[in-house]
Amino acid sequence: MGYPHKLPGLVMSTGLLGAMLLGALSPAGAADYKQAPMLDEQVKAGKLPDVASRLPEHPYVETMVEGVGKYGGTLRTTILANGDQYNLTRTIANELLVRWDPQWKKVMPSLAEEFKASDDATTYTFKLRKGLKWSDGKPFTTDDIMFWYEDVFMNNALSPAKNPTFTVAGKPVKVTKIDDLTVEFKFESPYGLFLQQLAYGQGHLPVIYPKHYLSQFHEKYNKEGIPALLKANPAAGDWVALFNSKVSLTFQPPYWQNLALPTLNPWVLTVPYADSERVVATRNPYYWKVDTAGNQLPYIDGITWAKLDDPQLMALKMTSGEFDFAFRHINNSTFKSVLFDGQKTGNYHFVDVKDLPANDAVLLLNLNSTDPVKRKIFQNKDFRIALSHAINRQEIIDLVYVGQGAPAQVAVQPEHELFNEREAKQYTEYDPKRAAEILDKVMPKKDAEGFRLDETGKRFTINFMVADVFGLSYPDVMQMVQQYAKDVGVDIQLRTTDRARLNTMWSANEQDAYIWNCVGGLSEVYTDPRCYMPFQKADIFFAMKWSEWYSNHATGEEPPESIKALMAAYDKVNAAVTDDDRRQKMKEFLNLSADNFLNIGISRPMPKYMMTSNNLKNVVNGIPITGNLWHPAPTLTQWYFDKPAK
Amino acid sequence: MLRYIAKRMVFAIPTLFAVSIVAFIIIQLPPGDYLTTLMADWASQGGAVEAGTVAAMRERYGLDQPIYFQYYKWIAGILTRGDFGISFELGKPVTELIWNRLGFSLLLSVLTLCFVWAIAIPIGILSAVRQYSISDYAATFLAFFFLAVPDFLMALSAMYIMSAWFGQSVGGLFSPDYVDAPWSFGKLVDFAQHVWLPVIVIGLGSLAALVRIMRANLLDELSKPYVTTARAKGMSELELLLRYPVRLALNPLISTLGWILPAVISGEIIVSVVMSLPTTGPLLLRALLAQDMYLAGSLILLISVLTIIGTLISDILLAITDPRIRLQ
Repeated sequence: MGYPHKLPGLVMSTGLLGAMLLGALSPAGAADYKQAPMLDEQVKAGKLPDVASRLPEHPYVETMVEGVGKYGGTLRTTILANGDQYNLTRTIANELLVRWDPQWKKVMPSLAEEFKASDDATTYTFKLRKGLKWSDGKPFTTDDIMFWYEDVFMNNALSPAKNPTFTVAGKPVKVTKIDDLTVEFKFESPYGLFLQQLAYGQGHLPVIYPKHYLSQFHEKYNKEGIPALLKANPAAGDWVALFNSKVSLTFQPPYWQNLALPTLNPWVLTVPYADSERVVATRNPYYWKVDTAGNQLPYIDGITWAKLDDPQLMALKMTSGEFDFAFRHINNSTFKSVLFDGQKTGNYHFVDVKDLPANDAVLLLNLNSTDPVKRKIFQNKDFRIALSHAINRQEIIDLVYVGQGAPAQVAVQPEHELFNEREAKQYTEYDPKRAAEILDKVMPKKDAEGFRLDETGKRFTINFMVADVFGLSYPDVMQMVQQYAKDVGVDIQLRTTDRARLNTMWSANEQDAYIWNCVGGLSEVYTDPRCYMPFQKADIFFAMKWSEWYSNHATGEEPPESIKALMAAYDKVNAAVTDDDRRQKMKEFLNLSADNFLNIGISRPMPKYMMTSNNLKNVVNGIPITGNLWHPAPTLTQWYFDKPAK
Repeated sequence: MLRYIAKRMVFAIPTLFAVSIVAFIIIQLPPGDYLTTLMADWASQGGAVEAGTVAAMRERYGLDQPIYFQYYKWIAGILTRGDFGISFELGKPVTELIWNRLGFSLLLSVLTLCFVWAIAIPIGILSAVRQYSISDYAATFLAFFFLAVPDFLMALSAMYIMSAWFGQSVGGLFSPDYVDAPWSFGKLVDFAQHVWLPVIVIGLGSLAALVRIMRANLLDELSKPYVTTARAKGMSELELLLRYPVRLALNPLISTLGWILPAVISGEIIVSVVMSLPTTGPLLLRALLAQDMYLAGSLILLISVLTIIGTLISDILLAITDPRIRLQ
């Protein structure tokens, strides 16, 4: 499966999609498009144009899971009352220039009808569908993308730091408008992973800034009008705050609090995610996707989220049939038996979700610890190997994870083409004798209690930070690890903490070690190798100074040669132009990462589940998802109710 | 009396000032701020906000400034404009958020109080008058039982029973159809159908305490000479009971009445969270968790103000009901 850049000129990306477009729609023409009955009256009354003129010239044709569906119904689901805005992002905000296919194998056209990459992987050209419209009916063109680029992304007040998706080696992208439908993204150095990055949920930036609406809040376009707007909005002190309160760069709360913001999403909010008891969205009449029979999507008329403060209530309401769909917060072992028993009363069933990170529980020793003695020992690969052998993984999995898992290091999942047995299995055998033997070479001396001494003659103690997050029972896991370590003479002291404290600690490089989970179990390993190398991103910190050096050689600390080789290997992945080459380079990189053995994994995760109503059709069983490959948004527009209520 | 009230109010000012400072410091004590929370949330979703953006936001929110300056800004806004600042997370002025929920909190508290008094006073009287009878033991047992069960557990059990056995929609104060609807007769009925469960759950916990207080006080009074005197003069038993001993036994209940005001905001946070009630409790909890400091600070300040006002009201009521206090 190649990217279109291997073909001459601008080409439709996939054979399948092209065939469906031509077969289903082009001869029939615009007259055959159909719309949801709820819009009929508005069209008749002249409040809405007819469906053909609302759709783009070539609408996106969705690949149906089971077949063409029916219109109607309201999807009832739930959301935590606060801090859960990503639930909305995952459900209804995944409209991008390009997207992943449902199997997460290749990048496909989306808002861009065609795209092309240059042979040196520096220049990317996107051609938008003609006739795309925002949810208020105004056209979406390259002007909107240029507004994002020139007035938001390149504006230092609005974007003081440049989003890494659009930068290479510290240099931001250059975006040029070719015509109303064509736009070019040019990077200074090769960026072979750009399309992949753009196809994840965070590639949304170029397409969430409607110029016609947002320019009124921008100093450049409305300098005179802004003081009056500020007066009307006491929450904003200046135009930047005002602008950010209307749209937010990363789907933070303001994005979900502004009902007036035009979007390209399938549903638009009518009750915001603010202080009400629920959130409501209704169909976007200008949505740009159709099914194979020419019916404008989505099928479902609207969505309501009951805002609840407590996941237990979510589970209860699911079992009493008050929701048609639920996923987040209650898809863990705590609730599974209750939810399983409630399937009949709640009229729902379980659907598999391939949420497969690289590892559920990873011991991250701080290789850049500020304590020189500890740093030296942590950096000793033999020490890490010994600690790894000292841990009885199967016992942890059986006791803490009720058997859901498999002993493994941080590695790509077996079902993925990048899987490598050695990377996953090395040093995972429980062998305390061997661990002790290795440790005898690293730290031979022991004190009266049997704990090993460091080179200064003091007991070697790892202060392990443990936060109880993700429902992964880290305190329980670590209590067992503490005992295993004690068995081989290593003193681990547990320091339970909360996430905010941990956050400030690792930002200041103050922690000895902590336990966390690791992304990178499936295809996201290409773009997000944060657990496989020192790589500056979010919540994985085991070699902060080296990762700082990696992103900017003027900062941080220069790492040893073996780490530099690892970084160079990833640079090659990023620069690779063809899929085959990229895969090859990635394998080399992963191999090198396994050689370095930077952190200690405990358990490989198993598929999770979600609940959907028995009336819902076109739901993908076993859909892959990850932190930034959102779900269920990519297929939600084709869900439909077999028997819509009311 | 008026002088007494005025004096109390004047003394309240420095107290409030001190409380506001303490509240603000307490909120700042945990490491990090709202932006660290936001970053952590975002990171757990697979995203990352660039360090530069966070630094700029911190500056914009004024979080990079020293704490005394942030406090000054906040308190000056309150004193000069009645502006309690902005909730970072909800992007709205704090006042707007608090008023939205205060009504429901107040309503819930008053209803609970009525419920508890209506049950506790008769039971307390009965327990005292028929001391060591079966009904006394039964009432005592039940009261202690409900006191011992944590109220979140009671909330969960009650909701489970209502949902699984009776098929009722639980959680919140309205059914989905009425949540955003304007007030109407239908909405009122819907409210009544929902509100009784939280009222009972919250009320049962404090029931025991009130029953015991009532019983103990009444027992004290019943053995006093004036009761014997009245009885000897041929006063009917019921009239006797209600006219003097019960009235006096109510004293401690009245003196705690003022606490209902602060409880409006802080009380029953856990139950409100478990049952997803649109009261100020969950708002305060979340504000503290997210380090949404102006919202949390304002709520804590408000609790303090209401405590002071509530105590004042209690004192006034006591003075009215109990002549002995007035005389002092």
